[in-house]
Amino acid sequence: MAKYFDVIIVGAGPAGSLAALKLARAGLNVIMVERGSHPGVKNMFGGLLHNTPVLNELLPDFHERAPLERHVYKKVLAFMTPESSVSLTFENENFDKPPYNGYTVFRPAFDRWLADEAVKAGALLLTDCTAENVINEHGRVAGITVKGREGELRSKIVIAADGVLSFMAEKAGLRQDFKAENMGMGVKLLLGMPEAVINERFHLVRDQGADISFLGAAGDMRGGGFIYTNYESVSIGLVVHLDSLKDSGRTPYDTLNEFLQHSSVRKLVKVATPLEYSAHLIPEGGYNALPPLYTDGIMLAGDAAGLCYTNGINLEGINLAMTSGVLAAETAIEAIRENDYTARSLAVYRKKLEQSFVLKDMKEFKSAAGMMHLERLFRSYPQVLAGIMEKVYRTDGTPRSKLLRLARREALQKVGLTDLIADGFKIGRSLL
Amino acid sequence: MNIEDLTQLTQFQIDEQPHITVNKDICRSCDHRACVQACPANCYTFNEETKLLSVVYESCLECGTCYVLCDKGGLDWSYPRGGYGVGYRLT
Repeated sequence: MAKYFDVIIVGAGPAGSLAALKLARAGLNVIMVERGSHPGVKNMFGGLLHNTPVLNELLPDFHERAPLERHVYKKVLAFMTPESSVSLTFENENFDKPPYNGYTVFRPAFDRWLADEAVKAGALLLTDCTAENVINEHGRVAGITVKGREGELRSKIVIAADGVLSFMAEKAGLRQDFKAENMGMGVKLLLGMPEAVINERFHLVRDQGADISFLGAAGDMRGGGFIYTNYESVSIGLVVHLDSLKDSGRTPYDTLNEFLQHSSVRKLVKVATPLEYSAHLIPEGGYNALPPLYTDGIMLAGDAAGLCYTNGINLEGINLAMTSGVLAAETAIEAIRENDYTARSLAVYRKKLEQSFVLKDMKEFKSAAGMMHLERLFRSYPQVLAGIMEKVYRTDGTPRSKLLRLARREALQKVGLTDLIADGFKIGRSLL
Repeated sequence: MNIEDLTQLTQFQIDEQPHITVNKDICRSCDHRACVQACPANCYTFNEETKLLSVVYESCLECGTCYVLCDKGGLDWSYPRGGYGVGYRLT
């Protein structure tokens, strides 16, 4: 027995739920198919919900109603070596008033709330349903089947928002072969601490939150660490490239433990109650690794489409995901109005993404994915920085050098001229 | 914290039907067994005596690391049936 819908959305994460909300408000018959017992139960990220225009437009009062934690006021970028840490702290009054630049959130709570908004607008939500395959008919995707259940769900259009591993994209022939160097693994430990202790340790007041990124915190691996403050807990973890995790021969949890023991981190998280341990993959291949984003009858959104990027300073995904969900929904609304679900009709989706910050930002930093594969970025350069700072501050009777000479000596000693030039070019092209 | 204590913190709805199976012949001759070392939940164990790879799918975080790193075709990996598997409460 088949059930018919205008649009089936696989995955009730941020991309899927905002797509569903947009479609339901347009009066379309839309269903979200979610494998968890409720939306968000399978989802994990570092911790930061970025300010996202489509979320503000569709749910202007989400600030008051959504289950949010702290607004992020303080941004810290830290370069780490095994024994030291050099950091840059940015605090800005403008980040301390609405519209806030981002909030820390718990995904099981936030995603559930967001899906519920779509349901209130008229979308259907089917939980406990793992999508198994796409139905191909007359040369297009025309629905899905569900694991362990009889019957089919049929639709004019499928939006695959089923996450980084997207089996729907695979079944539709859209998924690229996964490359370990284009995948980041995030591991995270949530540590409970009293609100007052968090405020004191991170120098925060009221609802202020901190986002601390550490470059070079993952031992010999290419990767970094993060800390996000919630009201009464702190999210702490690592993101490492899968190929370098494999090559290191080390386990993610031993590396996480080492990070937790670093002298600059340990004191921030001491005497805390471990609450939850989680892990997830992140598509980090960037613009050049994007899969085809649509074909006949189906569009990919969010992580399923590889819409995520990092340039070493920014790490964004959830805002790209929500925006892509809305743009996929807009495309579906137009396609259904025209009664044309072919790839040619859905090509508008790619154009919309190209015109929005989603693909503009990914394109701008397309070289950064390659830069992030520089081992030296995570090992040598933090050491160069730490070396300079140590010599700047240490007083032991050794005559001092001016900064430039000191920097040159440290860099030549720890990196070497040839690599320095090559890296300078690569980093410059990616960021400058 | 050791990994046993870490995975104790996370909740699971265990399915009697495994969502991961390993091919013991392929995995026996694998030259890296990256799954054993890279799995964040320590689900894989290789027994040096019996030369058998085993998987405890019950504590799988469903991240897909093993699925991406396995280049030998030794794993049959899918998401658990709806409602089963890892269930994050906060995170």
